[in-house]
Order: sequence, then structure tokens, then C-alpha cells
Amino acid sequence: MYTSSGFISFALRRLTGVALVVYLFMHLWVIGSVNAGPEAFDARLAFVQQPLFKLLEVALLAAVVYHAVDGIRIMVVHYTGITEYRKSMFYAVLAVSTLLVIAGGVPIIRFMLEG
Amino acid sequence: MSNPSTHPTATVRIQRFNPETDAKPHMQEFQVELKPGTTVLDALHEIKTHQDGSLTFRRSCRHAICGSCAMHVNGKNELVCNAPLKDRLDRNGRITIRPLPYLPIIKDLVVDRSSFWEQYLRVKPWLMPPAETPEQEFRMSPEEVAALNSAETCIMCGACYSSCQIVGLTKEYIGPHALLKAFLRVMDPRDAIPGARLADLDGADGVYRCRTIFNCIDACPKNLNPTLAIETLRKLAQKREAFEQARIERQKHLDEPIPAR
Repeated sequence: MYTSSGFISFALRRLTGVALVVYLFMHLWVIGSVNAGPEAFDARLAFVQQPLFKLLEVALLAAVVYHAVDGIRIMVVHYTGITEYRKSMFYAVLAVSTLLVIAGGVPIIRFMLEG
Repeated sequence: MSNPSTHPTATVRIQRFNPETDAKPHMQEFQVELKPGTTVLDALHEIKTHQDGSLTFRRSCRHAICGSCAMHVNGKNELVCNAPLKDRLDRNGRITIRPLPYLPIIKDLVVDRSSFWEQYLRVKPWLMPPAETPEQEFRMSPEEVAALNSAETCIMCGACYSSCQIVGLTKEYIGPHALLKAFLRVMDPRDAIPGARLADLDGADGVYRCRTIFNCIDACPKNLNPTLAIETLRKLAQKREAFEQARIERQKHLDEPIPAR
């Protein structure tokens, strides 16, 4: 095992990528039920509005934000060939992702608590 | 002979594996005197000569130019022959030495580097000269030479190759060492087949398999930059035909002086 900031970014990118694919199928499972009539759709929508799913929504937000911001970092490397600031760029990605997740996650949690 | 008590000792943890007796690798500790100027390779020699003759490792020149002694020291790949032992010890005076990761272990610190050499030969690492070579020397501009300088000091030690997680996932990947060598040939104005080289590197096992993890840069004992070479090859592969045409034009003037600017 060869650990480094580059490996952590690579592992996180892969994990969040797989998580997003899993989410896509869950999303289709809810949205797709509209073909089975309004009752089925309402039932599934009610199922995913339990408090647990609000927490999962924050996790989803974190996965989307990290995957997107890290993708921007990779594009910057591809187009500019900057390699000497590789560690700083990874930490910048983590910082920006954290800020965005807090900014988006706090309203979700508050909505969950206040109903 | 020096008195052992005059020198502090270092604890050297080494991953041992004997394929004839061991099911899996295990760690073994040795105590080595910490004399001034001791390198990690000196410590390995000390152990092999005076403590355990069965310790197996590769080394040759001891001047960081043969590329034999790359090992995994404290979680980083490096040449042990120019690594001062003192600088590699942790707070408790310990150093951990393992064989290069992601490669099959033959014995102790010796790994099977077959895939490394197979991928190296795949990129045809030699120069393919043009059909008509100049009667005297090839003329190259300082810029053209400078581009090659960033790749030609590679010593084929395998530190970058075995630091790459993609190599750990699939041995089909050409690898940073071979891509860096391919970059050297593609950028060389004397090379006649840059188009064919780029076409080979353009596949799923080539430049697009790189996930930009950057371990190869950190691992290289010669401070080379395989990641930047791979990024450059990606861009060149996208305009392969234009690049090939420019090379044909360039080779019409290989025997002419570089115009002064």
C-alpha cells in the first residue's frame, strides 16, 4: 500500500463515483414508480422522507460536491500541467468541499429537525 | 574496531519472506550501530555480513545510478544507497524497510520486475532514426534538447512504477516509467515514428489509464516528472497527425544549422 494525498483523492473519487451510481438507481426507483399510479408514487416518496434519508441527503451532497470539485482539480491539471502544487490543490479541494457541504447541509438538517 | 557503546543503535525492521519456508511475509528486527555517514544500504550490508547472511536484497553501484536498490522505506519508495540512515529513523530510532509494493516478492526485499520490463519494451524505448540521416551530426535547438532533459536521466529503478496504484490494480497499464521513456522518444526531433508511438500510447492501457495520483513524482529519486510527461503525451495524441506532419517537416532540416534569433 502506498499512501499519499494523491491516493486519498483517487480513493475518495472512486468511492463517491460508485456512491453516485448507487444513488442514481435509488432515484430511478422512486421516480420510476410514477408509471404505477399516484398511490405507488406517494408511498415511495413518503418512504424516502423519513429522517434517515435527510442524513443520507447530506451524504449525497458531500459525494456530489467532492466528486465535482475534485473533477475540476483534475481538469486544471490536465489543461495546465501544474504538478508542483499537487498537495495544496488537494487540500484546497477538501476545504472548498467542506464549506459547500456545510452551507448546504445545515439547512437540510434544520429542515429535518423542524419538520 | 570501535567500541559498540560509543555509537547509538538503530532498529531496522525488515520484511522477510522465504518462499521455501514461509507462507506469507513477516517483519524481523535487527539492531545496527549508527555510525556517521551510514546509509540504509550500509545497514542492510551490516546485517547481511554480521547478523543474518540469508537476508536478500538487490544492490550494485552504491552511487544512485544503477537503479538496483529501490525499496519501500517508511512508506515511500526510494534508493536505499543514497538515503542516510539517520534521517530515516523515527522518534524511537526505528526504520521500516519493505520490498517495492504491488510487485510479486521473490525473496525478502527482491521483487519480480518482469512486468516492468515487458511494458518498457512495449513502447520501443530505442530511437527510430529517419531513413536519410545527415552525413555529419544532427542539429537540434536548445529548446528541443531541454525538452529531452526532463526525461533522459531516468535510471529504471522501478520506484515510480511500483508506487502507482494503477499498476497495483492492473499490470496491463504501460506504467509511468515506460510512458516517460516514450515521451523522450516522441519529443526527440530525430525520431521518425512519433505518430505510431502516439497511436499505441493512445489506448486504454496507455495515457488514459493514468488517474493523476502523482505518486510517481514523489517516488522518483532523480526528480523527474512522469505525470507531466503523460499529460503532454495526452495532448499530443489528440493532434497526432499534425504532430507527425510537423516532425516530417522538421526532419528535412536535421543537418542544417539552427537559425539564430
